[in-house]
Amino acid sequence: MPEGMSRRSFIKLAAVATTAAALPGCEPAARKLIPYVVPDENVTPGMPTYYASSCSECGAGCGIIATVREGRATTLAGNPANPISLGAICARGQAAVQGLYNPDRLRDPMRRTQNGRLVQISWDDAEQMLTKRLAAASKAGKDRVALMRAPDGPTFAKITKTFLGAYGSTQDIVYESVSVEAARNAAQTLFGRTDLPVYKLSEAETIISFDSDFLETAISPVEMGRGYAEFRTPKQRRGELSIGHAFYVGPRMNMTAAKCDDWVAVAPGAEAQVAWAVLHELVAQRWVSQNSGVDLDELTTMVSAYDPAAVSQRTGVSADLIRRMAQAFGKSDGAVALAAGDDESLHLAAYILNAVTGNIGRTMNFLAGPTPPPPASLNDLGGALTAMRDGKIDVLVINNVNPVFTMPPTLRAAESLQRVPFVVWMGTVPDETANMASLLLPTDHPLESWRDSAPRPGIRTLGQPVTQRIAESRPAGDLLLAAAAKVSTNLPWKTTADAVKAEWLALGPQNDTDAQTEFWTKVRREGGIYSNPTAAPVKLSTKGVKTPPPGDAASAELTFITFPHIFLYDGRGADKPWLQEIPDPVNQIVWDSWAEINPDTAKKLGIAKDELIELKTEHGVIEVPALVSKYVHPNAIAVPLGQGHQAYGRYANNRGANPWQIVAAGSMRITVAARGTGKSRRLITPLGKSDMMGRSIIEAMSLTDLQKGIVPPTGEQEAPKPWEMYPQYAYNVHKWGMTIDVNACTGCSACVAACYAENNLPVVGKELVDEGRIMSWMRIERFFPDTDENAPNIYVTPMLCQQCNHAPCEPVCPVFAAYHTQEGLNGQVYNRCVGTRYCENNCPYKVRRFNWYEPHWDEPLDLQLNPDVTVRGAGVMEKCTFCIQRIQHAEITARIENRPVRDGEIVTACEGACPTRAISFGDMNDKESAMMKRRDENSLRNYVMLGELNTQPAIVYLRDMYHEKGKA
Amino acid sequence: MAAAVPENLAPTYADVDRGVLGIMSTPGAIFWIWVAFCFSLVGIAVLLWARQIYEGLGVTGLKQPTMWAVYITNFVFWVGIAHSGTLISAILYLFRSRWRTGVYRAAETMTLFAVMTAGLFPMIHLGRVWFLYWLLPYPNERYLQPDFRSPLVWDAFAVSTYLTISALFLFMGMIPDAATARENAVGWRKKFYGLFAMGWQGTQRQWHHFSMAYLLLAGLATPLVISVHSVVSWDFAMAQLPGWHSTIFAPYFVAGAIFSGVALVITLLIPMRKWLHIEDLITLWHMDNLAKIVLLMSLVVSYSYLCESFMTWYSGDKIEQMTFHMRYFGPQGYLFWIMVACNCVIPLFLFSPRIRVNMKALWIISIFVNIGMWLERFVIIAGSLAVNFNPAQWGYFKPSITEIMITVGSFAWFLGLFSLFAKFLPIVSMTELKEGIVWLRQAIQKGNTVDY
Repeated sequence: MPEGMSRRSFIKLAAVATTAAALPGCEPAARKLIPYVVPDENVTPGMPTYYASSCSECGAGCGIIATVREGRATTLAGNPANPISLGAICARGQAAVQGLYNPDRLRDPMRRTQNGRLVQISWDDAEQMLTKRLAAASKAGKDRVALMRAPDGPTFAKITKTFLGAYGSTQDIVYESVSVEAARNAAQTLFGRTDLPVYKLSEAETIISFDSDFLETAISPVEMGRGYAEFRTPKQRRGELSIGHAFYVGPRMNMTAAKCDDWVAVAPGAEAQVAWAVLHELVAQRWVSQNSGVDLDELTTMVSAYDPAAVSQRTGVSADLIRRMAQAFGKSDGAVALAAGDDESLHLAAYILNAVTGNIGRTMNFLAGPTPPPPASLNDLGGALTAMRDGKIDVLVINNVNPVFTMPPTLRAAESLQRVPFVVWMGTVPDETANMASLLLPTDHPLESWRDSAPRPGIRTLGQPVTQRIAESRPAGDLLLAAAAKVSTNLPWKTTADAVKAEWLALGPQNDTDAQTEFWTKVRREGGIYSNPTAAPVKLSTKGVKTPPPGDAASAELTFITFPHIFLYDGRGADKPWLQEIPDPVNQIVWDSWAEINPDTAKKLGIAKDELIELKTEHGVIEVPALVSKYVHPNAIAVPLGQGHQAYGRYANNRGANPWQIVAAGSMRITVAARGTGKSRRLITPLGKSDMMGRSIIEAMSLTDLQKGIVPPTGEQEAPKPWEMYPQYAYNVHKWGMTIDVNACTGCSACVAACYAENNLPVVGKELVDEGRIMSWMRIERFFPDTDENAPNIYVTPMLCQQCNHAPCEPVCPVFAAYHTQEGLNGQVYNRCVGTRYCENNCPYKVRRFNWYEPHWDEPLDLQLNPDVTVRGAGVMEKCTFCIQRIQHAEITARIENRPVRDGEIVTACEGACPTRAISFGDMNDKESAMMKRRDENSLRNYVMLGELNTQPAIVYLRDMYHEKGKA
Repeated sequence: MAAAVPENLAPTYADVDRGVLGIMSTPGAIFWIWVAFCFSLVGIAVLLWARQIYEGLGVTGLKQPTMWAVYITNFVFWVGIAHSGTLISAILYLFRSRWRTGVYRAAETMTLFAVMTAGLFPMIHLGRVWFLYWLLPYPNERYLQPDFRSPLVWDAFAVSTYLTISALFLFMGMIPDAATARENAVGWRKKFYGLFAMGWQGTQRQWHHFSMAYLLLAGLATPLVISVHSVVSWDFAMAQLPGWHSTIFAPYFVAGAIFSGVALVITLLIPMRKWLHIEDLITLWHMDNLAKIVLLMSLVVSYSYLCESFMTWYSGDKIEQMTFHMRYFGPQGYLFWIMVACNCVIPLFLFSPRIRVNMKALWIISIFVNIGMWLERFVIIAGSLAVNFNPAQWGYFKPSITEIMITVGSFAWFLGLFSLFAKFLPIVSMTELKEGIVWLRQAIQKGNTVDY
C-alpha cells in the first residue's frame, strides 16, 4: 500500500469493505428509485452506501467509489485500492454521473423511417430488426458485419468477438480518436514492444516533456499528477533540499507547461529538433549511463546533425537552454523525457533519452505481463472505412464511439457510413453518428452496467453497476449476445453480467465454491485485482530509427494545432454541464472554443480580441473567436477539441467549432490560412484580472530561499495586532482547518468538480457566467506573473472559503445567517438568509455565491443531488463550509461509537478528489494531525491569503516553488 | 434683497390664508394627468419589482462582485435627500433662522416622502423580502434576534426612527394649519382636515403645548440629521473594502446628504412656487439662502473628496490606492469626473448673487447637483465593489432595465406623493408665516431695514 493510505483512505476503504459486501450487491431488483414501501433491509434511508467500480471516461483505468443514496448514485470518488487513482479521480471522472443522468439520453429504441424521421419502437421490434439484418448480411458473405467500438475492456472484447463470430465476421474496429500510434511505433522500433511504457515521475529529478500534456489528458492525469506533485515537493535529494526541475517544449503553454519551470516555446514541429539536440548534447558531453546498453558510437552519428547551435539556428530555441536541459537531464539522479503527438521521431528521441541515461527500469518501465491490445491503426481504420464505401459492409454496429464527429475529413467517415445499408448506433446520448444510423439502441451507461478493463499489466478493474437504470436501456453486451444467440446455440454466456462474472471467476481460485464466492466479493469490494508487476527487461535497438528532417523547422508558416480539451477531451465531455462550466485552468474560458493566437501574429493578421478567425486548411474551414495570448508560439494557432457538436444533446450543441473538421487523419497539426472575419463572439470567463498586482493571494518562493531559510516578503505589510474588541473564540473541541500546497496544485479542477457534485451547485450556463452569476463555491484562481523574472509561469490554486477566525462576512449579517460555528467554520444558515449580500461585499476573497435565480436542474440531472445538502433557493447566499455535512456525519458516527473523531476521518469533497493531494483537511486543535504537521514541516512556505487584513483564515497555503531562472 | 418695506405692502394674515388655502383649491385636469403619469410609472416599477421577487434578483444587473449597486445608491440618495428637510425645519428652527418659515413645510414633506422612498430600497434590494421583519428585534419563540454588530441592523433602526420622527414633526407642525383649513373648508374636506387638525381649537393652552412639543421634537430631530446619515455611511465604512473603509465617511456623507437634499428642495420649490403662484410666500430671499447652503455644502464635499484622496495617497496602502486609481481612471472613471463637474465645479456659479436669484439657472444647477450626488453614491458603492481585494474577481456593474425603471419609479412615487400633499395639505406653513408677519410689522414699525 502506498504512503498516505492510512490517513486519507482508510475510512473510505473501510466503508467500502463493510457496506459493499453486505449489500444485495448489484442485482438491480434490490434497488428502487422510489421510496421504499417495503424497506430493503440492507439500506438505511439517509445513510449512503458505497460501491467500488471503475471509471470509463478515459482509458487510464482509475477505480471509483460511487456514493449511492437511496438507489441514486450521487457522487464519485477515487478508489483508494486502485494503484492508478489511489483515492482520487479527475474532473472528467466525476462528471460521469452527469453522463448517467443526462437529460438527452436516448430513452427508447428508435428506428429511422424512409424520410429520415426517428420513430420509437419496442425492444422486441428493434431486436428483430437487428437480427434480421444481421442474418441477411451473414448470409451474403463473410465479414459483411462490422462493429466499431471504444476499447471497452477484455470482457467486452470477447463478447464482441463472439457476436462477430456468430455472424461470420472479424471486423472488430477498436477506435480511439486521439491516436498514440506514433508512440507505439517508436516503442516498436526501439524496443520491439507493442505497448506503451509506464512512467514514474516521482523517481525523477528532471522531466522534459516534449509537448506531452501529462497533467491534463495524456496518459492518466490522476496518476501523473500525483507523481508530478511528489517530484515537485521539496525534499532531500543527494544531501540537498531540492525540487524536481521540469522543462516543457511545445508551441503552447498548457497547464502542464505552466506548471513546469521552463516553458520552451517552439514552433509546431520543432520539438523533435530540440529533442534530438538535447540528445546530441548528452552524447557529446557523455552525460550518459555506462550500462544503458546503447551503442554510443552509432548514436553519435545519428545525432550529428543536431548540434545545439545548429538547432538553435533552425528553431530559435537558445543553444544555452538546450545545453541546460541536457545538463539537467544527464546529471540527474533519475530523469524522464515524455513525448506526445504524431511525430514519431520525437517519441524516438524521448525514448532514447530515457534509455541512454539509464532511466529505463526506473522512471520509465515496460511492464511484464499481458498488455491491452492497441486500437485500430490508422491504416486499419482507413481500410475498414474503405470497405464500407466499397459496399463490403452490410451492417455496421457502432458502440460508444462517435466517428462522424471525431474523424478528420480525410477519413470520409460520414460518406462511409452512408454507404452502409444498415447502421446500428448503440450509446447513451445520441450524437452526430447516431444521426446517420438506421437503428438507435439506448445502452446502459457504464455506471449502470458490468464491465472491466485491463489498462496495463498488474491492474484489472471491475466495473459494477452502481445504480438502477434510469432509461429503457440495455447493456451493449447483452444486445450483442442476444443477437448472437439467434444464430448460435453454444454461447458461453447469455448476458454481460454472466460474461464478466465468468471471466473474473476464471482469474480467481478454481474448484472451491466458497473461495470463489469470497473472491467475487473481494473483487467487487475492491473494484479489481491489483498486483505490482515487474518491469520487463527491454533492450534498445536503434535500427530503423527515423531522425527528424534537419530542415528549417521554424519556418514562418502558420500552423494550426489542436489538442484534447482538459475536460471535454475529444468532444465526449461536451454533454456534461459541469465540464462545460468549469473554466479551463489556463485560459479560464467556459462553454466555447477559442483560438489561441500570439499577439504578434494577431497584429500581423489584423485580428482583434474575440474576433472570429476563419481558419482554412485544405480540408475545411472553421471559425473560432480569437484569444490573443502570449502563451502560444507566433507560428501557431491553437484550438481545443471538444466543442462544435451539432447533435450531442442540449449542453453540447451549437457551441464553438470542431477542429477535427480541418485536420488530416494522423495529425493534429496542419498548415493553415487564418484571417479575421470582422465578426466577433466574446469568449466568456468568470475571471476578472489576470494580474495579481503584488497582492498576497498566491505566493511563491524560490528554491534558493527555501534552502537558505529565507521567508520571502509577503504581498503587503504584516498583519497588525490590534486591540480586540470581542473575546477570542474558544474552539473547545475542534477547530477545522486546511492546508493547501500551491506547489502541488496543477489546476486540474478535480476539486471544483467534486464540489459541484457534493454540494448541489447549479450550473448556470454561458449567459449567466457572462453576467457574473457562476455558482462555484470553489474555483481555481489563476494569475499570470507580471514579470518574466523569477516567478512561476502561472499562479494557480484552489480558492474557497477561508473560514476566517475574524470573518468579515459574519458581523455584517443582520440576521446571523452568516455565523461562527463552535468549530471555527463560517457557517451559513440558508433558511435564515434574507439576501442582503453584505457578506459577499465584505469578503476579501469573494468566495460567497448568491442565488440570483431559483436553481434548476434539467431532469433527471436532479437525481444526482446530494440529499445531505440543501438545495438553496433564489435570494439566498451560499458558500463553502468545508463540507459540513461530512463533518457532521463523522462527528455523529464518532459520538455513537463513543470515541473522538479520528484524524483523517473527515475528508472534504475537494480533498478527496485532489489527485496531487494538495489539500489536507484536519483539526487545528490537534497538533498531531496530518494537516497541522504538513504546516509545521513546511513552516517556511506557510502563508495566508491577504494576511494583512487580519482575517486569520483557517486555510494555510504552502507557497508555490520555483527555480530561480538560469539555475538548473 | 434688503429694502424698507412700506407697511401697506406687508402681507396680512388674510393674505397668508388666501395664498395657502388657495393652493388647496380643487385641482384641475393638468394636475390629475401629472399625478396619473407619476403613478403609472410607479405601477411599472411595482410590476418590475413583482417580477424581480418572482424570478429572483437575476433580473437586475447585480453580479459578482458588485452585490450592491443601483438599489443601495437609491437608498442612500433618498436618505440623503431627507436630511435637508430636517435640517431646514429642525436645526434652523433651533437657530431661529427666520427665512426657514416659507420653505420648511415643503422641506419637511420632502423629508417624509424621501424617507418613505428610501425605506423601499432596502426591501427592493433584499433577496428574500418576505423575511424583512427578521431585521427587527421582535419577540419570537426561536429566541432569534438580529445581530446588533451589523450596520444593517443599525440602519433599520436609524431609518425607522427617522421616519417616525419626521412624520411626527411634519404632522404635528401642521396641526394649526390643518385647523385653519378645516375652518375654511366644506364637505369631505372639512372632515379630512379635521383629521389632521386633531381637534385643534387654538386655545392658549394648546398653543403653549404645541410650541413646547415642537421645540422638543426639533431638539430630537436635530441629532438625527447627523446620526442617521452617519449610520447609513457606516454601512460602507464598517466594511473593510477599500473605498468604503474610511473614518471620514460619517461627516462626508452627512455633508453630501445636506448638499443633495437642499438641492432637491430647490429643484422642487422653483416650479412649485411658480405653478402654485406663491412667489410672495416663498420669495427670492428664501431661494437665495438655500442656494448659499448648496454652495457651502458643495465646498464641504469637494474638500471631502480631496481629503479622501489625500488620505489614500498618504496612507501608502497600495490596494486602496489602486481602488482610487480605478475610480478616477478605470473603465467607469468618467462617472467620477461627471460627479466632480456636477458637485464641485458647477455649484461654484452660485458665488454669483445674480445666479442665486436667477430661478432658471438655480434650477439647472440644482439638477446637476442631484445627478452628481446620485453618481457620488454609485461611484462609491458599485465602483469600490468592482475593484475589490481580489483582482481575479473584479468586474464592473451595468444596470438592467429593471433597476432603471424602479429608480425612475421611485422618483415618480416621490413626486406623485409630494404633488398630492402640496395640493391637499398646507405646503407652506401659515402659522409660521403669520408669526413672521408679526415680526415684520414690528421691524417696520421700528423702521429697520429687513431682508425680504
